[in-house]
Amino acid sequence: MLKAPHRKVSLVLMAIAAFYLYLAFQLPSFMNSIIDSDTLPKVLGVLLIVLSLILFFMPDNETPEQKEKRNIPKSDAFMLIGTFLLILVYIFFLEILGFILVSMLFIFICSLFLGYKKHVTNAIVAVLFPVSLYLIFTQLLGISLPSGILPI
Amino acid sequence: MGNFDGILSGLQLALSIEGILFVLLGVMAGTFIGMMPGLGPISAIAIMIPLTYSMDPTIALVLMAGVYYGAVFGGSTSSILLNAPGIAGTVATSFDGYPMAQKGQAGKALAIAAIASFTGGTVSVVLLMLFAPLLSSVAIVFGPPEYFALMILGLTAISSLSDGSTVKALIAAVVGIMAVTIGIDSQTGTARFTFNNPNLLEGIDFLVVALGLFALAEICNLIINRKDKIKGNENIGSLKLSKSDYKEMAGPMTRQSFLGFILGVLPGAGATIASFIGYITEKKIAKNPEEWGKGAVKGIAAPETANNAATSGAFVPLLSLGIPGSGTTAVLLGALLVLDVQPGPLLITDRPELFWGVIISMYVGNIFLLVLNLPLIPYIAKVLAIPRPLLISLVIMFSMIGVYSISFNTFDLYMLLAFGVLGYFMRLFSFPAAPLILAFILGGMMENSFRQSMTIANNDLSIFFTRPIAVSLLGVALLAFVVPLWQAVRSRRKSKMSS
Repeated sequence: MLKAPHRKVSLVLMAIAAFYLYLAFQLPSFMNSIIDSDTLPKVLGVLLIVLSLILFFMPDNETPEQKEKRNIPKSDAFMLIGTFLLILVYIFFLEILGFILVSMLFIFICSLFLGYKKHVTNAIVAVLFPVSLYLIFTQLLGISLPSGILPI
Repeated sequence: MGNFDGILSGLQLALSIEGILFVLLGVMAGTFIGMMPGLGPISAIAIMIPLTYSMDPTIALVLMAGVYYGAVFGGSTSSILLNAPGIAGTVATSFDGYPMAQKGQAGKALAIAAIASFTGGTVSVVLLMLFAPLLSSVAIVFGPPEYFALMILGLTAISSLSDGSTVKALIAAVVGIMAVTIGIDSQTGTARFTFNNPNLLEGIDFLVVALGLFALAEICNLIINRKDKIKGNENIGSLKLSKSDYKEMAGPMTRQSFLGFILGVLPGAGATIASFIGYITEKKIAKNPEEWGKGAVKGIAAPETANNAATSGAFVPLLSLGIPGSGTTAVLLGALLVLDVQPGPLLITDRPELFWGVIISMYVGNIFLLVLNLPLIPYIAKVLAIPRPLLISLVIMFSMIGVYSISFNTFDLYMLLAFGVLGYFMRLFSFPAAPLILAFILGGMMENSFRQSMTIANNDLSIFFTRPIAVSLLGVALLAFVVPLWQAVRSRRKSKMSS
């Protein structure tokens, strides 16, 4: 009964809705406001539970193509998780090393990781794009980006 | 200011050096991103948004609108050359475009697509010019109850019309409104769902949601398909069309310009549905339906006219009501709100230069697109050969820096990543992402207009049922909501009976 993927998704959604509703009932209320801040959340929580229930009892109408999408080969899953981790590292070091440096490293390493073999082209792109973006943002748009450890 | 003065000030802006430069930049960026299979118009616009922060709002909208219709224009190139549609709105183009290219007539197919796109785009801009002011003059009497009803209609329409499951689309919409309730409630000052995290007090920025759900999630698919070898068609053949080709195209182009425009105006429809409906209707009335799917001229002209006409049509509700009818126009609305422009019926009188400037820039943009696409297409198509790994890392960097430049806070970047993961899982389980972004942008407005209505009516819900416009809009919304559900129940009964 629980094998169908849409049923599992429906249960997850119901759990989210229940948690959201629980939080909605914790919201403080003010007597003088006509529609208080907890009205909409309560409606939304109930609506999500109802819709998840409908989803649960619906027939599985996914096409074979849609099901096939979930068949991700291990090597691709590895690439996805690897890129995800690289992004985490990028965010972590963005304000420490500065935009230019961390972007250069990210572009070069991420492209290499995804299987790009032309190292010279990769290096040129990795230098050119962050530097020109930095100049566009700071000089033309007046938006300052973290300069980090570079003396600029 | 009368309409005439407004048009003049719009002309002045659209034809200024800045105006022309940015419409060119917009349509070029749109064409490039639209061509890349996997990256859609929402990603294209969202990536460009950070560039517009310090711009004049008119120029900013000129640029972003250019990206939007440029992407729809450019999406056909990869449909024809690779059978890999650049965007959903050009899937129908590949039905006949790719077979024609296989016969060695890629150039002819590209030329048909370019001319049909130009016709659809230009005719519908004329219609936009006529209808948007008309609609805003009707909407000027709308109060909060009417607006609330309109937004409900917009939400249910996009849910019922989006592909696949209505229930999934509605769930996506509800989750979108839930996401917007995070932060300080503007009316009572209550902090909702912030988990005592000061970073969440101001709520989640729409750019975080748009870039995460679209750009980053689309990147995941690019990563999986990174090895797809794209062999550039070295020889695309002649771009010339014969007189009989033009004759054949005339009928579909005329009909689909109007039909596509109407479908674009309607909430929920948009370019993708317009292109399919355009293809199907023209096939039905064609004299030689057996030729369709094998490289029929009309089979390229019909969807290409319709999708471009629908793109301009989608600007009617956005500019005249301030209500987006699709995910893409919702992102445009979000971008306008950041620039302190509140689209709505007053826009045409308050900001005539913006209203008319954008419309006039669309004529200019369509001419640029025709010029770019006809003689230059063989060179532009080289973009398709950009190595995927490089493209992926660059798009990730653009998304990161776009979000960082609005908040200067790495917390938002982690949120962006979280929405990217959410968007990818939604795609895996066939939940549409467009209703979520639309609901995210409409959600806050919806709650406000509901509260305003209830304040006017002194907490009496009957205000929604005693005002004729509000009640009829809600009635249509209810139909859009109930009919698909009823159909789902009926198909379930049928499948039970047969099994």
